[in-house]
Amino acid sequence: MTVDLSTAFGRLRLKNPIATASGTFGYGLEFADYLDLASLGAISVKGLSRRPCHGNPPPRICETDAGMLNAIGLQNVGIDAFLAEKLPELARLGATVIANVWGDTEEDYVAVVERIGHERRVAAVEVNVSCPNVVRGGMVFGNNPEALAALVKRIRSATRHPLVVKLSPNVTDIVASARAAVDAGADALSLINTLVGLAIDLERREPKIGFTTGGLSGPAIRPIALRMVWEVRTALPKIPIFGMGGIETVEHVVEFLVAGANAVQIGTANFRDPSLAGRLVGELAAWCESHDVARVSDLVGTLRTRPRKDHSFA
Amino acid sequence: MAVNESLRVLKTIHYDEGHYSLFLSAGAIGARTKPGHFAMIQAGEGLRPYLRRAFSIADVTTMAGVPALEFVIKIVGVGTAALARFAEGTPLPVLGPLGVPFPIDDLLHSDRVALVAGGIGLAPLVLLARTLAARGIAADLFYGGRNENDVLKRGDFERFLGPHRCRYATDDGSLGRKGRVTELLTHALARGGRYRRVYACGPVAMFRALATLLADANLEGSFAMESEMACGFGVCLGCVVPMTDGRFATICKEGPCVPPTAIDWARL
Ligand SMILES: Cc1cc2nc3c(=O)[nH]c(=O)nc-3n(C[C@H](O)[C@H](O)[C@H](O)COP(=O)(O)OP(=O)(O)OC[C@H]3O[C@@H](n4cnc5c(N)ncnc54)[C@H](O)[C@@H]3O)c2cc1C
Ligand SMILES: Cc1cc2nc3c(=O)[nH]c(=O)nc-3n(C[C@H](O)[C@H](O)[C@H](O)COP(=O)(O)O)c2cc1C
Ligand code: FES
Repeated sequence: MTVDLSTAFGRLRLKNPIATASGTFGYGLEFADYLDLASLGAISVKGLSRRPCHGNPPPRICETDAGMLNAIGLQNVGIDAFLAEKLPELARLGATVIANVWGDTEEDYVAVVERIGHERRVAAVEVNVSCPNVVRGGMVFGNNPEALAALVKRIRSATRHPLVVKLSPNVTDIVASARAAVDAGADALSLINTLVGLAIDLERREPKIGFTTGGLSGPAIRPIALRMVWEVRTALPKIPIFGMGGIETVEHVVEFLVAGANAVQIGTANFRDPSLAGRLVGELAAWCESHDVARVSDLVGTLRTRPRKDHSFA
Repeated sequence: MAVNESLRVLKTIHYDEGHYSLFLSAGAIGARTKPGHFAMIQAGEGLRPYLRRAFSIADVTTMAGVPALEFVIKIVGVGTAALARFAEGTPLPVLGPLGVPFPIDDLLHSDRVALVAGGIGLAPLVLLARTLAARGIAADLFYGGRNENDVLKRGDFERFLGPHRCRYATDDGSLGRKGRVTELLTHALARGGRYRRVYACGPVAMFRALATLLADANLEGSFAMESEMACGFGVCLGCVVPMTDGRFATICKEGPCVPPTAIDWARL
């Protein structure tokens, strides 16, 4: 049996549903020695801004149980350097490139997508409205459905690229954010970004991260990510979803597909093993074959839940 | 180019409860390694430690006739404790060699250099000492620790460089001079020692003192720096230090070996 891994993702057609997550995959080129970039469904590059950004003072990272906290502060080379120096090489290597973008203000976001313009070597734009590690912007959009809708509308009118909005999990109602983004013109959603956390150096009574709080990622957040993907899929049956959060094995990939993601992004696990994402493509085909799944898309949203009943007192 | 491969544990030699040497099969990493390079080692499949840990490749050598990488490790937490306990034959995922090595290609036969180690900072200097010796370049070692137990692999250093070129300092005076390692270098300079370059690895406090000392003496340095690392190859941007040009630079990619004049010590 040859398994069909191809994945329809709105207007995008991905070779397979294995992509890599922004901020955990550099500009992609750093991984060329460890896997074949062309073999991946897509790669989302480090969040790009209108001007180069230095990021936060260290310490920026620390390990936590089953994961890590980071407050990088979106250090990046800026959109111009990315387009001039990184994108041509990525295209030469056959990568399907998603440009992850961010800004402090609506104008900043619009400026970045305008710079991308009609660039055909960018397959899609992923808007990070959910970075917890910068003082301005970022989270403000992610936490407030009205601000989010206004931002997405403006970006929508500034680009013809497929528009993926990456939601913040630091909200009580992820479905409200999802609806706001989709109603404002998002073609697809990515979830989840990191969850705000705090780690303490007890001897010094100081936060371990210079920014005080950081974004939690890795296996620790996987159940939350799965729950959010499932909630959004249930509320919005048609919208393409990139699911992510603590994915490390082919079983984790399939869990996300079953919960309702059309494709997944591998994040922190790229640090632990830079060859992982490439290997998962083959392992996914093998998993489907051993489970008699002919097309990977047949798995999407197949979670069988029992009806929830109100509790009954004895 | 770095290699992501699985290397076998060949042997673990424990110096005391807190320090050990871990020998792994050399794989494809051995032949590519230069003094100052490091590797990221995954300590098992569990979720704690979760990320790989960074260690200097202390030596490229043989263990019972098998080509080996040696790592000299101080136990400070969960990862360094876990790595001490693997049985011989256990495969461990290793990524390396990584980073910018010590600059040595420009050294001439007539040059003399200094190696300065503080505590576990000896690690990257072992392969450096071996390489310099093989090239016939004279090197003086200044090595400081809290006490005698902190000062490791003296035999190797004295074999490579000659015993008369190795000087020690300890906080409690149990080995060598009582005091700080930077005082050893100050004395050597006062006695007319001239060094083309000073290679150093140690704690931040030592680096700070040494950076000042080198600036005052107008000496060139190369410091093998440390920082917490998630990836080790320039993608997480977690391991940065402030630079004098205002940027934050990754220690894993632009380092670990950097000239002290490039670091903004006031902001570190
Ligand atoms: C390029 C490089 C080369 C290194 N070479 C060696 C070596 O040859 N031998 C050796 O023993 N150690 C070396 N280290 C330090 C080593 O990486 C840390 O000691 C190790 O990661 C700690 O892991 P842990 O799980 O035991 O400690 P954790 O439980 O993670 O932390 C314990 C303590 O160690 C500190 N720490 C954690 N990671 C690092 C780090 N990367 N650098 C410094 N402190 C850290 C933490 O802040 C904490 O205070 C090197 C580090 C770098 C960046
Ligand atoms: C070090 C680090 C940097 C990140 N940077 C970005 C970023 O620039 N833009 C973004 O949208 N998400 C960023 N993320 C979030 C990841 O893309 C991903 O959403 C999150 O880590 C959850 O997935 P994981 O648990 O598999 O890592 C970053 C995550 C980490 C760990
Ligand atoms: S450790 Fe990830 S960039 Fe240096």
